[in-house]
Amino acid sequence: MIRLLKIHIGKLSLFLALLAWIILLFVDMIRLFGILNEVGSGIAPELTLILEVLFFLSVYFFYSYSIHKNAKKDFINLIWRAASTGLFTVGIFLLIQGFYKILGQSKLSEEPFLLNFFYHIKFAFISIFLISSALLWKHLILYQKNKTVVKQWQAFEYAMLVSMFFIFFNKNNLDYSFLFGLVILLGIGLVLSSNLKWIPYLTFKEKWKSLLFLAMIMASLVYLFGQTIEFSNPNYYPVNLTDNLFLISLFGFILIYAIISFLVTLFNLPTSSVFEQKLTEALSFQRLSQSIQPGESEEQVLDVLIDACLSTAFADAAWLEMREQESEKLIQDRFIDAETRIEISKLISRQKNMLNWELKNDSENLTPIPLRIKHSKFNSVLLVPLILNKTIIGKIVLCKEVRDGFNKEMINIITTFARQASIAVENHRLLNQAILNERYQEELKIAQRVQKSLLPTKLDHNEGFEICAYSNAADEVGGDYYDTFKLDEHRFVFIIGDVSGKGTSAAFHMAQMRGVFQSLIQLDLSAAEFMIRANSALSKCLEKNHFITASIFVINTLENKIQHARAGHVPTLRYKSSDQKSEYLEINGLGLGILRNKQYGKYVEEKTYTYEAGDFLILLTDGIIEARNEKSMQFGFDRIKEIVENSRDLKAKEIQINLIDSLHSFVGGDGMIDDDYSLMVVKFKNSTKNINLELQK
Amino acid sequence: MIEIKTQKKDGYDLLFLKGEIDASNSVVLDQAIQKLVLEGSKSILVDGQELDYISSAGLGVFMSYLEDFQEKDIQFRIVSLTPRVLEVFKILGLDQLIQILPDKSSII
Repeated sequence: MIRLLKIHIGKLSLFLALLAWIILLFVDMIRLFGILNEVGSGIAPELTLILEVLFFLSVYFFYSYSIHKNAKKDFINLIWRAASTGLFTVGIFLLIQGFYKILGQSKLSEEPFLLNFFYHIKFAFISIFLISSALLWKHLILYQKNKTVVKQWQAFEYAMLVSMFFIFFNKNNLDYSFLFGLVILLGIGLVLSSNLKWIPYLTFKEKWKSLLFLAMIMASLVYLFGQTIEFSNPNYYPVNLTDNLFLISLFGFILIYAIISFLVTLFNLPTSSVFEQKLTEALSFQRLSQSIQPGESEEQVLDVLIDACLSTAFADAAWLEMREQESEKLIQDRFIDAETRIEISKLISRQKNMLNWELKNDSENLTPIPLRIKHSKFNSVLLVPLILNKTIIGKIVLCKEVRDGFNKEMINIITTFARQASIAVENHRLLNQAILNERYQEELKIAQRVQKSLLPTKLDHNEGFEICAYSNAADEVGGDYYDTFKLDEHRFVFIIGDVSGKGTSAAFHMAQMRGVFQSLIQLDLSAAEFMIRANSALSKCLEKNHFITASIFVINTLENKIQHARAGHVPTLRYKSSDQKSEYLEINGLGLGILRNKQYGKYVEEKTYTYEAGDFLILLTDGIIEARNEKSMQFGFDRIKEIVENSRDLKAKEIQINLIDSLHSFVGGDGMIDDDYSLMVVKFKNSTKNINLELQK
Repeated sequence: MIEIKTQKKDGYDLLFLKGEIDASNSVVLDQAIQKLVLEGSKSILVDGQELDYISSAGLGVFMSYLEDFQEKDIQFRIVSLTPRVLEVFKILGLDQLIQILPDKSSII
């Protein structure tokens, strides 16, 4: 129900206003008839007044409803609405005046009923104009309102409401009480008129428009007020509707606000360009601070930047260049040809303080520098650096025809612009990098998986020995390699290798090493011959500053023999159960890929050892030996030897676990071993010959 | 961290290495040696008395110039290596290819 009422409030109030006005007209006509015919109409004057107040109120409600509905319209529209209503009312007045002029001295021109009819029309339009304008002013006054202003306006509205009823006590007399009321109302109106916050938001053009509209309103007001005073003549108009405090104070209030607005707008005209400038700066700033979306280029930000700088500095020309590998690349230019640009660049580079500027160490705090130049077209330039991560990534050059054309305020704002743009560019670059990194991470994960598959999952062995191995890369991929190969039932090959360096390049070489080793193993070569061939094969594919170290063991479990060659690799630890001691196998051998010619053969040794059950071999890579703790001490050969001797009765797997655990506790819980490390543990058991014999039994 | 000082001495160029050489800074060593080679030095002496550590990447740098030294007839010597660093050279076998001397007094 309430909702229904709300919807129809506009129509309802319009209908009420019309009804009140018609009744008012009717009542007044009857009264006039009574007066003219000297017959008492028997209608109390209060009825007219009540109808008048009713009319005012319904017009007020109609307009407050209809303006509220269209409140989103801008200020110019609001003022235009008041001005157009004013002009329309004046038009009605002029029409009626014209009508009477046509009538001339005819009898009809003296006709009191017609006169009175027109009077009612005039009254209605004046009221509409005044009430609607007051409500439009309300919108302007309450723009960016605060509590006080709202309260003041409410007080004004209540005072106006009271003033409507003032006429019941004071019948159109210009006495002190009338003046007192008028002064109070106009006083509040004057206080309210100081609320002009809407004016600065008008553009220069809009200000001119509003000046015109305000002038129209003022003219209409003055003209209508003059007309209203004429109505006071009681000879023509027996019932005076217009001489009341309410309408007179509305006249005053609307005029005061119009005059003040007019003057303030007028005086705001010269500074409006500054305000507009600030507004564009704020907008540019906002556009600059919006991060660049992935897929967009940073050039869009630079585009906004150069335009923002250009308009802020009122510069005549500008260009933007970015540094790309020590050379400058032009990204944007405005109102300048290549020839002039080169001329100015030369002039700038000749400036003395320019050198100091670019050589300044803390480029982080490098600020734009204004320079005077002697050029046929331009007389001053401003250099704006674009700084990213403390390095200059580019610069903007702003040119002006006037000398010393750049003031401190401009430079400050431009500095902020440049910083903001740099941040946007940086964010954009970081984002791109992050995306790229993500992809690399994925690729590395794949590489890691592939590399893991290059290491054997099952180690070849027979009953003659236990074997286990472990490898760990410092990065996702590494350069360590180990493998086993079964030559026949009793003969096996163990191999361990390490590519110099670590990471991806090492990983590629590791894959090459595996290929070479796997094909050479098939040939059943002696240990030394294996290394010589491996050297010549790897020499052809290794990068110049890379080499590989490797150790090879060919064991014969039937004869308990070990044939061994070492190519620059970390010596292997051999534990001898007979004397319960271990030693690193001393044997000469040059790393693979160091000597890439036939000379290599001279530097490789081959030795053959015999072993007993309970002996074992620990094959290592240098990552374990060189692993360091917080005190920068190396894990070292001796520590490994000690650990191995202490775990002589354990199984191969247990020895391996022991070693790795000791390594980790040595390096420390959070410590990282920054090299790839691998190890292989081989523990010998009885000769397979004995096993065979036992089986035969 | 590695610090490299080069000094022109009477008859040879001295490369004084201080700190640690690993994969991350072996380029610096490479550049220093390359500079001397390009300048046409005939004798290079590396002083390693304050070299605390050298990784395989660092050794790779020395190795990669072996051919150049031979071709251009440059005498390349290393002196005063600490036992730990000398051990690394020995394991790899580089001591057989590069003249490594205990101290400067042994230079004739």
